[in-house]
Amino acid sequence: MDMSKYHELFLSETKEHLRRMSQLTIALEQNPSDKDGIDALFREAHSIKGMAASMGFENTASLAHHLEDLLDGFRQSGTVPELAVDRLLAGTDLLEGLLADIEAEEPEQDVSAFIAEGEVLLSSQTGTDEPSGADTDSLAEETVTTENRVGTFQITIDLAEDTLAPAARALLALEELKQFGRVVSCEPTEDAMKQGFAVKQLVLWLQSDSSEEEIKQKILTMPDIAKVSFGTDRRNETRSSRMDEDMRTVRVRTALLDKFVNLTGELITNRYMLQSAAKSEDWNDVQDGLNLLARLVTDLHYHVLQVRMTPLESITANLPRLVRDQCRKSNKKVKLEIVGDEVELDRAILEDLADPLVHMVRNAIDHGVEEEGTVQVRAWREKDLALIEVSDDGRGIDPASVRKKLSEKKLLKPAQIKTLTERELFQWLCYPGFSTAGEVTETSGRGVGMDVVKSAVENLGGMLEIYSKRGEGTRFLMKLPLSIAIIKILLVECDGNTLGIPVTRVLRTLDIQSDEVQLSGRQKIYPLDEEVIPLYSLSRMLHLPETEASTIHLVISEIQGRKVGLIVDRLTGQLEAFVKTLVMPLSQIAGVTGATITGEGKIIFIIDPQVLFEAESEQFSMTEVEETA
Amino acid sequence: MGVRVMVVDDALFMRNMLKDIFIKAGHQVVGEAANGEEAVAKYAELKPELVTMDIVMPVKSGIEALQEIRSANPDACIVMCSALGQDALVVEAVQAGAKDFIVKPFKEERVLDVVRRVLG
Repeated sequence: MDMSKYHELFLSETKEHLRRMSQLTIALEQNPSDKDGIDALFREAHSIKGMAASMGFENTASLAHHLEDLLDGFRQSGTVPELAVDRLLAGTDLLEGLLADIEAEEPEQDVSAFIAEGEVLLSSQTGTDEPSGADTDSLAEETVTTENRVGTFQITIDLAEDTLAPAARALLALEELKQFGRVVSCEPTEDAMKQGFAVKQLVLWLQSDSSEEEIKQKILTMPDIAKVSFGTDRRNETRSSRMDEDMRTVRVRTALLDKFVNLTGELITNRYMLQSAAKSEDWNDVQDGLNLLARLVTDLHYHVLQVRMTPLESITANLPRLVRDQCRKSNKKVKLEIVGDEVELDRAILEDLADPLVHMVRNAIDHGVEEEGTVQVRAWREKDLALIEVSDDGRGIDPASVRKKLSEKKLLKPAQIKTLTERELFQWLCYPGFSTAGEVTETSGRGVGMDVVKSAVENLGGMLEIYSKRGEGTRFLMKLPLSIAIIKILLVECDGNTLGIPVTRVLRTLDIQSDEVQLSGRQKIYPLDEEVIPLYSLSRMLHLPETEASTIHLVISEIQGRKVGLIVDRLTGQLEAFVKTLVMPLSQIAGVTGATITGEGKIIFIIDPQVLFEAESEQFSMTEVEETA
Repeated sequence: MGVRVMVVDDALFMRNMLKDIFIKAGHQVVGEAANGEEAVAKYAELKPELVTMDIVMPVKSGIEALQEIRSANPDACIVMCSALGQDALVVEAVQAGAKDFIVKPFKEERVLDVVRRVLG
């Protein structure tokens, strides 16, 4: 049977099982005699064993079998000993490693040492009574099979240029290879070949105890075989990685699929309605049809995005394990609270957020919490934004020590440092190289990698805010768009050009009279609420001619933790934009993050004021900002 | 030393050509058939080590004959003979258990290679 079509499903399901295994194990550490927990954990290991064995991943299967044995012992004794938790977690880690091997289409790593190590534990745990003896036997047998040096080969077979009936030839080659062992996956698939797909090259993975030479010789006796090669050459690498990209799958609720079918039906009806209205030139009907079309497209858009939406849980699920390990290392007692992990975001966003989140939680444990405390990961929705906050109840960040660091590092002039608000000050924690891991002081560690976190959040069109109060703790707040493909943009005009600014970047918009603008040195400023904010001309930042007008339109945004006003010629409206990423050389323009096309076919560039500002820092340096104070 | 071969083709010309190739190479042509039905009957009688089977034949096609012979003799070693442009049929035959195939016009060397391979 061709198993390759199950490959993707195997990977995704096993990942889920492993995630639950790790969660269940940690829960058992707290509550070692939870019978249901032990049973559940046993079932997870059992499922993995069954799937891996069917797929022919022997090392994965025997390791899962081994863990299953271990758990079976705990089922009988009714409790999981403290020492065994580490063992189970190590086993789960190893399974994850094996899965990564499989995913990377590499041979599974050796697990016999780990299993042998565990056998000691197994026999000491259940003594020498009969059933466990038998188990160990069957286990030993499996280990022998794996030790039989079953290799996994990646084999590329090139057919000759003028091969007749290439699909049949490739099928025969595949049959031939099956004589040597188990074909794990094959591209093109066996089914495709049976459909008569014009094969030129066959790439497959074979598990076999034969040698490369034996396999190669045998295949080369076949006519029309131009070349047989082993391993991964570069060309195949790029080919298969692209294939992986294309073949990535998501699970979709059937209800959602039904919705698509219904919507498609309605769209078809709508088309006929519009066609007949246009034919009879009945403009009222055309208008009605267009209104309906707009509603249907909105509906479709919403549901298509739903397919990509994944709960935050997919990246927070491994946090309990992380916290546990981190606590052990640092000798702290930290309670992790996760609130709102059902909030859904675009999976592309979640993928980019996984590492930053781990980073922030780690930082919170290492540098936030003192001896004992709580780290909370909280997520919620606010209109079009998803907010994710990592907070701790530790001692908080000492503004004085950040200021000290700023002056030590000569990052700002002393006068500037003095005028920074706490909010602005904490943004400096994300400045690359602000602190290094080498200097462990109260605040330094906070900055480790925070620049990476900040740029990840900003690359996603989001914002990172840092709040901290002495003695009360620190909060890192990420404001993220729900989706990256379609975002709301604010349309502004500069010297006749329409530009888009993501609304996630806009705090508010404002019209003021030109005589309300004040000057501080050469810098235009404006008193907004309790703050005095600097004003910058977007036209000037874009090297466009500036125009003078009696009414000034402002877009209030935040740059490096500080509110700024961007002067634009006009505010023209809002648009839900399908963002197209730019290609070279346009992608090289700093501050331009993408483009969208309007209904009239006009291209609107989307700009990120923060990046634009940073790129223009020569003209708009902090020195100039300082003059405002 | 040679292999006991049965040649199945509705064209006498093709049968003779294959026969010549086999005999010249020292093989033994133990029988021939002009359609699938004959092939099935003769296979049961002669039990040749190798059959070359044309795909498109009257009365009973080569693929049907292949299936029948193999269901009675799972080890039967049958090589299909096809013409250009019959890729889909060849794929079907391979799925049905043909050990290999040769494409007309036959090249002597190629035919003998295939024989060596499928019996080797």
